[in-house]
Amino acid sequence: MTNGDQTSFLHVTTDVGGTFTDVVVADGAGQMTIGKSPTRVNAGEGVLAALGNAADQLGQTVEDLLGRTQLFTYSTTRSTNAILERTTAKTALLTTEGFPDILVLREGGREDAFDSATPYPEPFIPRELTREIPERINSEGEVVRAMDEDALVATLRQLAKLEVEAVAVCFLWSVMNDVHELRAGELIEEVMPGVAWTLSHRLNPVAREYRRASATAIDASLKPLMGQHFKEVEDRLRGAGLSGEFMVATSRGGVLHAAEVSERPIDTVKSGPSMAPVAGITFAGAEGIDRDLIVCDTGGTSFDVSLIRDARVSFTRETWLGRPFTGHLTGTTSVDIRSIGAGGGSIAWIDPGGLLRVGPQSAGAEPGPACYQRGGTKPTITDAAVALGWIDPDTFLGGRMQLDAEAARTAIRTLSDDLGRPVESTAEAILSVGNEHMVRAIHDITVKEGVDPRESIVVAGGGAAGLNVVSIVRELGGSDALVPRAGGALSAVGAQFSDVVREFAVSSFLDTGHFDIDTANAALERLDAAAAEFGAGLRSRGIESYEIERFVDARYKHQVWDLEMQLPFERFKGEEEIEALRETFDATHLRVFAVTEPDARIECLTWKARVSASVGNSDGVGGSASTNGAKGMPTPRMRKTYMNAAFRDTAVYDGSQLPPGAKIEGPAIIEEPTSTLVVPLGAKATLTNGNSYYLEV
Amino acid sequence: MSTLETPAQAEGERLDGVLMAIIANRFNAVVREMTSTLLRAGRSAVLTIARDFSCSIVTSEDELLAATEGIPVHVFGAHLQSAQLNRVYAGDIHDGDAFLDNDPYTGNTHHADHTILVPVFHEGEHVFTAVAKAHMADLGNSQPTQYMPFAKDIYEEGALNFPCIRIQQERQDVAEIIRMCRRRIRVPDQWYGDYLATLGAARTGERRIKEILDKYGVPLIRQFVGEWFDYSERMAADSIKTVPAGEYVRHGQHDRFGPYDPIKIKSVIKVDPKAERIEVDLTENPDCVEAGLNLSEATTTACALTGVLHNLDPAIPKNSGAFRRIKVKLRENCVTGIPQHPRSCSVATTNVADRLVNITGAAFEQAGEEWGIAEGGLGMNIGYGVISGVDFRTDEPYVNQLCIGNNGGPATFENDGWLTYTLPVVSGHMYRDSVEIDEQKYPVEFHSTKLVVDSGGAGRTRGGAGIEIIVGARGKPMRIIWSGDCHETRPKGVHDGLEGGGPRTAIREADGTERELEPLGEHVVEPGTFIIGRECGGGGFGDPVDREPERVLADVREKWISPEAAREIYRVALAYDEESGRTVLDEEGTRQLRAEE
Repeated sequence: MTNGDQTSFLHVTTDVGGTFTDVVVADGAGQMTIGKSPTRVNAGEGVLAALGNAADQLGQTVEDLLGRTQLFTYSTTRSTNAILERTTAKTALLTTEGFPDILVLREGGREDAFDSATPYPEPFIPRELTREIPERINSEGEVVRAMDEDALVATLRQLAKLEVEAVAVCFLWSVMNDVHELRAGELIEEVMPGVAWTLSHRLNPVAREYRRASATAIDASLKPLMGQHFKEVEDRLRGAGLSGEFMVATSRGGVLHAAEVSERPIDTVKSGPSMAPVAGITFAGAEGIDRDLIVCDTGGTSFDVSLIRDARVSFTRETWLGRPFTGHLTGTTSVDIRSIGAGGGSIAWIDPGGLLRVGPQSAGAEPGPACYQRGGTKPTITDAAVALGWIDPDTFLGGRMQLDAEAARTAIRTLSDDLGRPVESTAEAILSVGNEHMVRAIHDITVKEGVDPRESIVVAGGGAAGLNVVSIVRELGGSDALVPRAGGALSAVGAQFSDVVREFAVSSFLDTGHFDIDTANAALERLDAAAAEFGAGLRSRGIESYEIERFVDARYKHQVWDLEMQLPFERFKGEEEIEALRETFDATHLRVFAVTEPDARIECLTWKARVSASVGNSDGVGGSASTNGAKGMPTPRMRKTYMNAAFRDTAVYDGSQLPPGAKIEGPAIIEEPTSTLVVPLGAKATLTNGNSYYLEV
Repeated sequence: MSTLETPAQAEGERLDGVLMAIIANRFNAVVREMTSTLLRAGRSAVLTIARDFSCSIVTSEDELLAATEGIPVHVFGAHLQSAQLNRVYAGDIHDGDAFLDNDPYTGNTHHADHTILVPVFHEGEHVFTAVAKAHMADLGNSQPTQYMPFAKDIYEEGALNFPCIRIQQERQDVAEIIRMCRRRIRVPDQWYGDYLATLGAARTGERRIKEILDKYGVPLIRQFVGEWFDYSERMAADSIKTVPAGEYVRHGQHDRFGPYDPIKIKSVIKVDPKAERIEVDLTENPDCVEAGLNLSEATTTACALTGVLHNLDPAIPKNSGAFRRIKVKLRENCVTGIPQHPRSCSVATTNVADRLVNITGAAFEQAGEEWGIAEGGLGMNIGYGVISGVDFRTDEPYVNQLCIGNNGGPATFENDGWLTYTLPVVSGHMYRDSVEIDEQKYPVEFHSTKLVVDSGGAGRTRGGAGIEIIVGARGKPMRIIWSGDCHETRPKGVHDGLEGGGPRTAIREADGTERELEPLGEHVVEPGTFIIGRECGGGGFGDPVDREPERVLADVREKWISPEAAREIYRVALAYDEESGRTVLDEEGTRQLRAEE
C-alpha cells in the first residue's frame, strides 16, 4: 500500500436492504465500483460478499480493499423492519403515576372521520407493560412529589421477572428537571443489569409528553438489537482487515460514528432510504435537470420514493412509521420519504375472487424468488423477468449468481393455469400489476399533494428499477426518466455524497421583552464548546475541516409551536444583535405563515449548533461508473424475449462497452453489473456524459 | 431536455381523470397548508394543541369546494357565510380585503367561532373565498366562557357579534375593529395572536389559490369545479343507491339542565335508493328554547350531514356537489333549525348538536344488520371546561378551553369505537391537549388523566372508552365552567349493543371528601382542591356475547374491560397463569358460560 497517493484511499459505503446488500467502493478520484450480494442473516457476511463482488471487478482482494478503506459507511433497514415486523425487544414503559395512557391516547386526530374501516391503533408499548411510578415534577421543574424509590425498585423487580429486555422512562417535566429520570436509570442498572434503557429528557428533550414518550419507547426497544448489530458488523469487518473509520448512516441523511448511534438507535430508522434522494439530486444535477425529481429506489423488498423540489432534500419534523395518526411518531427529524412493500421479491398470487395480485408479501433474500434456487417456490417479480427473458440467468449480478429459468417458469405456471394464460403472458401481467403499487405510491406523494407527476422526471435506482421504469413513467403519463448507471445501488451511492452531521442543543428560555445577553451567550458558548470537542474528535480521526452553524427555535409570546431560524451572528454584543434576531424572526414568520406581529415579544427556547464535516465525495458523479474507454457502438447480442405481448428478437448490450452518447432504440436490454435496464418497444435510451441513461418513453 | 407542458385542454372536452385528481388534491393541499398555518401560528391551547378550527375553500358562487381535515360541524356550512358576504358587500369586495364573521343567524356556527373570509381575485375577478374558522379562547361573553347554556338570548350572552364585517382593507387591519375587540375580549394579546393566525391561514390559502389560478387559468379551473361537483354528486348517488329504502326515525334527548326540561329531538330519514337521494326532516322538533342550546342553521345542517355520511362511502368528497343528494329539511324558530334573533345559539356546536349527529347516524340501524353506527360519547364536561383566572407566576389573566378530556367513539359494524373521538360533531378530527403544554401555559396541575375501565359500551364491537381527569389550580383560585350531558341519557348502542359509560362531575376537597357537582355549571377551584370530570364511553354494536373470546381476553389484558365484565356481560371465562404472569382464556369455561344463554 502506497501512502500519499490520493487514489489509494477508499471510501466504502454499504446499504443492507431486505433482499440485497449493496456496496460502493470509491477511490480518491471518485471512481465508483458497485458490488451486490443477497442479504444474509449475519449482515456482516453479506457485506463481505458484496465487497467480494466489487473486489472481483477491480481485480483485488477484499483484504486489499478494507486495508485501504479510510472511511466505511454502513446503513441498514434493520431497525425499520424490526419496528414494522414487531420484532423489537420486549419493552416496558415507566410513566408518572396518574398518567399511564400517554402512548394509548397519543395526540388525537384521525385521517378520515368517516372511515370506520381503519381501527384505532395499538400503543407501541401495551398497557400490560406500562407501570406508573410515584413521582411528580411541575412545569417549573420543582419536585412536587419525590420519587418513591422503593416502589420503583419493586416495579423493576417485577419487570425483570417478566423478562423485559428494555425499559423506556418518560416522566412528566423531566425536560425541566432530570433528577427522577436519572435516578431511574441508575436503579435500572442496579436492579436489572444488562437491560437496555432510554431516558426521555436525553433522547428528545421537548415538552409534549406523547412525542417524547413515543421516541423513548421506540429507541429503547431498538437498543438491544441495534447495539449488538453494529458491534457484530464492525467486528466482522475489522476481522477482515478494516482499519479505517466505521460510521453509520442516520435518518437525517448524514453519518455518525457507530458508538454514538448505538446510544440513539432511533436515528437509524429509515436511514437507508434517506440516502437515495442525495444520489438522485447529484445525478440529476450532473445532467442539468432543473425540474422536480421523483426519486425511486426499487429493491427486492421495498420501494422507496421521495419528491425533490428545487434540488433540496425535504425533511419532516413529524416522522411517522406507518400512516399519520395510526403509525408511530418517532419525534425526530428525518428525510421525508415514503416506503411500500414492493420490489423484485414481491410474491404474485391469485385472490379468492380470481384476481391476480402482487405483494405485499415478499420472498426477501431467504428463500428468495424461485429462480434463486434457495427453496423459494412462489412466483415473484424477479421470476417473471427471468421467464420473459429480460434477466439473463447466466449473467445475473455479473454472473456471480446462477439463476434457474425453469424454476421461475414452474413457479409462474402455478398461476398461469388458473388464469388460463401462457406463462409469458402471465409473467408480463405480474409485472403490470406490480407496477400499479409503485404508481400508486408515486401518486401518493405527487397527485395527492396536487403536484403533477408529468411535470417531473423520474430518477430510478435500485436493483429492480430497470425492469419497469419505462412502464411506470408511461403509466404516470410522463415523458422521460433518468437511470444512473450506478443506480443499482442508489442508497449506497447516496451515502458517498453524505456528510457527518451532528447537532447539539441547549435549552435556555429568553424573552426579547427582557433579554439577557449574558445568558444567551452562555448557551452559545456551551454549544461551541460541545461542537469544538466533537470537532477535535473528528480531527483525531483525520477529518480536518468542519463547519458550525447556529440556530434558535423561537416563537412569539403565547405561541406553542416554534420556528427554527439561523442566527446571523456568533454572539450577542448589544441591541444590534437583538434587533437582528427580531427581524430574522419576523421575516421567517411572514414567509411561513403569511402574517407577522412586529410589536410582539419573541421567546427563544432551544439554541442549537449544527456541525457538519464533508467526508463525502463532493466531486459528484464525474467518473462514477467504469467505462472501458469504448469509442464505437458495439454490436449487440440478440436474444429472444417476450415484450409488449409478443416474442421479439431483442438487442442485448453490455453497458460497460457503450460509448457516451450511445443511443439505443427499444426493444433492447442493457445489462449493467448490478442491474438490468429494459428498453421496451417505442422507448429510447441515451447514455449521457454524466454516466446515466436518459430514457424517452 | 424537454419540460412537459400540461396537456392542452380542447374546448368543450371533459378534463382527463388524472388532471381532475391533481387539481382536486391541489385544493386539498392548500386547505392542509392553511390548517398547518393556523395550528402553528396560533396562541391559545384550544387552537394550537387541540386544533379546534377548520379551513375551507368556497367558490364565488357560494359552493363549498374543499374542506379536508375540517371539523364536520365547522365546515359543512362555510358556503352560507360566503353567501352572506356576497349579499352584504355586493359590488364592494376587493382584492386585499378580509372579513370577520361570527353571526349565527346568517351562516356562522356560533359566536365563539371567529371566521375570516378572504376573497381570492385573479385579474380583477373574485373566483374563490378562502375561509378560516377558529374557536376563540374568549369572545367577550358576559362570563369567562365561550359556552353560555343558560343565556336566554344574545344579550345575556354578551358576545361581540360581527355580522360579516370588513376587518382588513388593502391587507391592513381596520384599526377600529381591532380596538373594539381589544377592549371587550379577555386577554386581548392572546385574541389578537389567534386572530393573526386565523388571518394568516386565510392569506396562505389566498396565496396558494392564486398560484393555482396563475398556472391553470380561470376557465379551466371553473370547468374543473363544475366537473368535480358532478363527480362528487355521482359518488354520493352511487353510495345512496346501496342503502335499503325506508323511513328511519330515531329519538334522542339532551339531559335536563338547570330549570330546563330535557330537549327532546328526533331525526326522520327518508332513503330513496331509486332516486338516489336522502332527506333528513328535522321540522317536527321543538321551537327554539330560551337558552343557549339552540342550533344554528349551519350546525343543524352539518350535524344531519355528518350522521348520514357515517353511513355512506367514506370516499365521497365532502362538498356542495355531494350535498346535492342529501336534503336537510329545516324550519324557522326550531331548536334544530333556523334560529331567530335574539335567541341564543351560544352552545350551537355541541350538546344538542352532538345528540343530532348521534340519532341520525344510529337511525340507519333500522335499515338492516350491517347498517347504522352506535351513539358516540358526548358532553363538554371538565375535560372540555373553560378555565380562567390570574396566573400567579406572571400576575397576568388567562382564559382558555381545556381539550384534554375524551369521549369514546361509537362502535361500528366493522370496528370498535375510535378512542380519541372527542365528540360526535368532531368525530375524532380534533387533537387532544398535552398535559405539559397546559401546565406550562396555564396555572393548572393535573393529578391524573386515566381511561376508565368498562366505559366503552359492550357489544360485538365495543364502544371507545371515556376518560377521567382530575385537575387542580396552582397558586390562586381558578374558575371553571362546563356544559356536560349524558348524566340521565347515555350514548346508546345499536343492534343489541349496550350503552357507553356515563359521566361524573365532582370536587375533591382538601380533606379528601368528594362532592358531586351540576352536569352544567361552574366552580371556583381553590388551590389544594381538585375537580374531577369523567367523560362518556361510546355505545356498542351487536350483542356482546358474539364478541370473539380472544378479543375479550386482549381487552382484559389491556384494561379496556374488567374480568368481571368479561364474565357477566361478554360471558367469557378467564384464568390467571402463574408461569407467564398473564391472564389467559378458559375455553371450556367460556363454552359453558355462553351455552347458558
